[in-house]
Amino acid sequence: MTTQDQVNPPPPEGESFISLPGIYVSLTDLPLDILSIMDKVRSPEAGAIVTFAGTTRNNFASKPVTSLTYTSYRPLALQTLSSIASSLLTKHALRGIAIVHRLGTVPIGEESILIAVSSAHRKAAWLAGEEALEECKEKLEVWKREEFEDGGVWRANRDGHQGAEVKEGSKGE
Amino acid sequence: MEQQQLAVQRFFLKIFLKRGSFLLPLPQPSSPLYFGNFTILYFATATSFTGKNIESLPAPLSLRKLGDVLEERYKGIREGVLGHSLVTINLAYVDVPEEGEDDVIIQEGDEVAIIPPVSSG
Repeated sequence: MTTQDQVNPPPPEGESFISLPGIYVSLTDLPLDILSIMDKVRSPEAGAIVTFAGTTRNNFASKPVTSLTYTSYRPLALQTLSSIASSLLTKHALRGIAIVHRLGTVPIGEESILIAVSSAHRKAAWLAGEEALEECKEKLEVWKREEFEDGGVWRANRDGHQGAEVKEGSKGE
Repeated sequence: MEQQQLAVQRFFLKIFLKRGSFLLPLPQPSSPLYFGNFTILYFATATSFTGKNIESLPAPLSLRKLGDVLEERYKGIREGVLGHSLVTINLAYVDVPEEGEDDVIIQEGDEVAIIPPVSSG
């Protein structure tokens, strides 16, 4: 096995990713692992790694959520993730940035997104970590469907409201 | 078999006539109904409304007319979905042109997507 193989083991099944110098972004159907994403940004030149884990809540406005499912336009979402990561890498002079989003059904209380950033000093990493999440919330082509006891809705981050209700009768041609 | 060969010949002839070369990359034909069609992808509320993830529609089509074509097939989609969605063609966001602005033409083989408000995280 070469050194390159040890640094970058092949991704598990069900994962699509873009890996560039200082950047790792991916979409995966599998549970997320905080340690493996920290390792993507680990650097001897870094004095800080900031991580963020977004987890799935069991309610929306105190209405119980029974399950959550994420779908995505994968090639476009990967392109968007990569462009968010690359602009933050430059803006905050980061050593590394990694963003991973989980797709499919995510059980309540588990991680749906992980962000890790490393920088020489902590301030840049704190700022970049927060900006990365806000950029994803605004732009990333991933959609969350929340199922309630009495039906489901597509959520929209933009206004914090549920997506347009869809009447059964208007389905199909 | 003969028909398939004819289709293949026609496929390459079209590329040649359109581009003057075989060397330039062409979008992946992701639909068996590639000829004379473009592919449209629906996500989230757009999927719920149409009951579909993907379909083929006749090309070429002016981007300005896309809303009319969809409204004709799925009554109420303009107000229910398109009004607050974005559009991409071949993974790039496009502005739907207003009256008097230059139109964009959706070409055969293009991949169009309706992008409702996102909800990642």
